[in-house]
Amino acid sequence: MIKVTDITKTFGKTEVLKGITTTIARGEVVAIIGPSGSGKSTFLRCLNLLEKPTSGKITIADTEITSPKTDVMRVRQRIGMVFQHFHLFPHMTVIDNITFAPRTVKGMPDGKARANALSLLDRVGLADKADSYPSRLSGGQKQRVAIARSLAMEPDIMLFDEPTSALDPEMVKEVLNVIQSMAHTGMTMVIVTHEMKFAREAADTIYFMDDGRLVEKAAPEQFFSNPQSERAVRFLNQVL
Amino acid sequence: MPKLVLKTFSAAIIAALLIVAVAGGLLPSQAFGAAANDAKGTLVMGTSADYPPFESVDAKNGGQYVGLDIDIAKYITEQLGYKLEIINMDFNGLIAALQTGRVDFVMSGMSATDERRESVDFSMIYYSARNSIISTKDNAYDSIEQLNGKTIGVQLGSTQDYFAETIPGASLKKLNKIPDLVQELKTGRVDALIVEDAVAIDYVNANSDLTVEFLPAEADENGYAIAFPKGSAIVNDFNGIITEMKESGKLDSLINTWFPMQKETEGSALGLNLDFSILKDYIPYILRGIYVTLLFTIVSALFGFIWGTVLSFFKLSRIKPLQWFATVYTSIFRGTPLLLQLLLIYYATPQLINYDISPLMAAGLAFGLNSAAYLSETIRGGILAVDKGQQEAAMALGIPYRTMMIKIILPQALRSILPALVNECVALLKESSLVSVIGVQDLMRRASVVQSLEFRAFEALLFAGAIYYVLVLILTSLARLLERRMRRSD
Repeated sequence: MIKVTDITKTFGKTEVLKGITTTIARGEVVAIIGPSGSGKSTFLRCLNLLEKPTSGKITIADTEITSPKTDVMRVRQRIGMVFQHFHLFPHMTVIDNITFAPRTVKGMPDGKARANALSLLDRVGLADKADSYPSRLSGGQKQRVAIARSLAMEPDIMLFDEPTSALDPEMVKEVLNVIQSMAHTGMTMVIVTHEMKFAREAADTIYFMDDGRLVEKAAPEQFFSNPQSERAVRFLNQVL
Repeated sequence: MPKLVLKTFSAAIIAALLIVAVAGGLLPSQAFGAAANDAKGTLVMGTSADYPPFESVDAKNGGQYVGLDIDIAKYITEQLGYKLEIINMDFNGLIAALQTGRVDFVMSGMSATDERRESVDFSMIYYSARNSIISTKDNAYDSIEQLNGKTIGVQLGSTQDYFAETIPGASLKKLNKIPDLVQELKTGRVDALIVEDAVAIDYVNANSDLTVEFLPAEADENGYAIAFPKGSAIVNDFNGIITEMKESGKLDSLINTWFPMQKETEGSALGLNLDFSILKDYIPYILRGIYVTLLFTIVSALFGFIWGTVLSFFKLSRIKPLQWFATVYTSIFRGTPLLLQLLLIYYATPQLINYDISPLMAAGLAFGLNSAAYLSETIRGGILAVDKGQQEAAMALGIPYRTMMIKIILPQALRSILPALVNECVALLKESSLVSVIGVQDLMRRASVVQSLEFRAFEALLFAGAIYYVLVLILTSLARLLERRMRRSD
């Protein structure tokens, strides 16, 4: 599904990604963990070209998205993204937040977009909030709306950039539950997270990143019980 | 993306032009004086209708132009078989209007001086006026010699202005309007005024604290004549009729109807002795100015906002030439006076593109272009203040740049800059009084017409001030409603 070949990313003089190569299969759920500043978010943002890799190649479903000829907008329509700080559109109601992109980008009729949105809201447990404005929602509710908003575009891939880091502790669970429920639907997902328990339970594969490199790539059981690299051992000792 | 920006840009221009055009068509032509001087059979006359009894606005009866000059012009054009159209503008804009072909001739109590002869052609003299000194009874002057070392008020660009320049030792204060000069005299900011006899009589009659001294007439030096563009073909025709009027006594009889000898009035306004009852008959006339002022404000605010938004997009664009254009544009329009832009657009447009731009359209354009320069900075600031995550979220959803800007970023930016936008509208509403220099009959212009008709300084101004204040109050309450609506989402 996603094939990443030796991508690097440099901001000014700082090399944030130092050559990452990996392949993510269709339906695979990847959790990326690692210390802050290790390049996790940058790597994730390269996947939908919010950051343009300095060098290297990314191919998604046989389309090389890093090629200058690729229509970036089209690629992004197939990749949903959920942000740490939600970024709901504050001037629109919940339902409008969700239906805006399908209506304007895909030209979906209002009725159909609305019906889809309501069923998505139902799925994230917020059917009663359709006509509220984001400012009326708690952090956890906002993040669930943001997930519904991404799903409304019916993406093949979902990217999560620390989706629970900005939440109060009691709200983390409701969001993780929603994400975990998606993991069983065959959706390809890449999740940057600090929730080790969640990563262990939800992911098929753990990526451990440090200092701009993909240091370790393993199934959760194997990674958490028997980390191979010294850096992963040190990291796990600190967080567990 | 350049294509999109260009499309937005041209759409905005077209919309703005349409608005201005529609607005121009809506107004009764008299309200801003159409200049249809190309149409055969119509002559356009320029005048500064604040100079009774030569020319003034009959504000009590439907705002017609009346006066000696008007009657003479009507008679001559009728004799020659033309239709007459009159444009009212500031006196010191009349020569420019002749030179740019906006008017076919000027009658405005204008003396045929040598200086003016360098720029325009004159008919023969139809009226000879005398200069006179107006001063206060408490501090009266009755000869030119006494004015040595004094401050004298004159109307800018008038014959008396040129005459007063020759008075030894006097310093001059030049204003646009005679009512303002009279007020300056009453408050002691000038010692005396030099005006011409007919006007002096009216003011001294209306103000019992003033006195007048007539100076000897200087042959034909001070005679009034009709001004034409250099080389105009109709001068001889006009001269023929004037000669005929002089011989038949028609001219004298017209003059006599407009110069009643010394009328007695009961003592008049000293200081701030207000009498608002004088406004009674003028109220409909003044109120019609609200329509002009509001229409103008709406047109220029809308145009300024749309164009300002486009400019702010240019400034944020990654395309260098667009950035440069918007930056240079803003720098020029912020760096030069609005009045200058207004005059340039009004007078230069007919010469540059041979399009006879109406005063209201010129004003809407000038104010819109100017306001856009300021607004583009405000809007740019507003856009930059929107959380960067909004743009990322929209991009991640695959929303195209333009849709994102218009539907997601701009509404949030507008919400935060709404108070600044309201400020801009209020400023436009009040600055709209500038447009009277090119003859648009807005609220302020009408107030000063009434001021000059009644020879009283404050009543009409205070009335207009109250109207402006109420308009601004209404505008700000509407803005508050809008703001509340926009804050629904909080």
